[in-house]
Amino acid sequence: MHEGSITVRVPVDLREIERLNKVVRQFGDLHEVPSRALYAINLALDEIVTNVVRYGFDDSAGKEIVAQVTAREDELMTVVSDPGRAFNPLDVAPPDLAAPLAERALGGLGIHLVRSLMDTIEYHRQNGKNVLTMRKRVR
Amino acid sequence: MQIKESKQGEVLILTISEHLDSATSAVFESKVLGLIERGERKMVIDCGSLEYVNSAGLKVFLLAAKRLEPLGGKLVLCALAPSVLMIFEMIGFSRIMRIVPSLDDALKALGGEAAPA
Repeated sequence: MHEGSITVRVPVDLREIERLNKVVRQFGDLHEVPSRALYAINLALDEIVTNVVRYGFDDSAGKEIVAQVTAREDELMTVVSDPGRAFNPLDVAPPDLAAPLAERALGGLGIHLVRSLMDTIEYHRQNGKNVLTMRKRVR
Repeated sequence: MQIKESKQGEVLILTISEHLDSATSAVFESKVLGLIERGERKMVIDCGSLEYVNSAGLKVFLLAAKRLEPLGGKLVLCALAPSVLMIFEMIGFSRIMRIVPSLDDALKALGGEAAPA
């Protein structure tokens, strides 16, 4: 994996997420990020950005979400920041994976995936922005 | 995303391809729920050409399985790519949904005949 970083500014619109994923895939290919790690980063980004687009704003006009992916020797760091309402995804209760079908809840799936795919996740509220930092070790 | 629909005996087969994500899952949801509403009870979703799924798409599979169960129906998923199967396992769906390797296996699981070769 080659070291490098990319910053993508994403308008608050679900249709923009596929474009974000394309850009990150290109970055990953260029920096020889292993395909499983790249898949994980893209899915985690998708889930986090989807949540922000859906629930972050009453009025999203002119607002943007900033996603930054940094490849280091043995780690991918992904930072998502947005000026939407304060929301810490780490507060979301994990789904009960052992529950029978009838009792499985429909919510909380995305955050659970992000937690499963990443090694560490940190949330901060800084200067009126949500800042989520996700790290994934890559060997 | 593309969805194709076919019927083999009592079994409704949906083939879903490409990206199932937040922008496309609503179409998939209304398709699947509409079919259950119409009376379909044995359903296969062939994921052989599904490249990517996020939680919005996963929710549709869960919703379909939850709707079918009390109606005596059954949902079987088949031919998931390794990366997609990994996500289904991560979210615990492999415990509550029947996931099989091929369409033939899915048809057998629903008590129908295997597709002609």
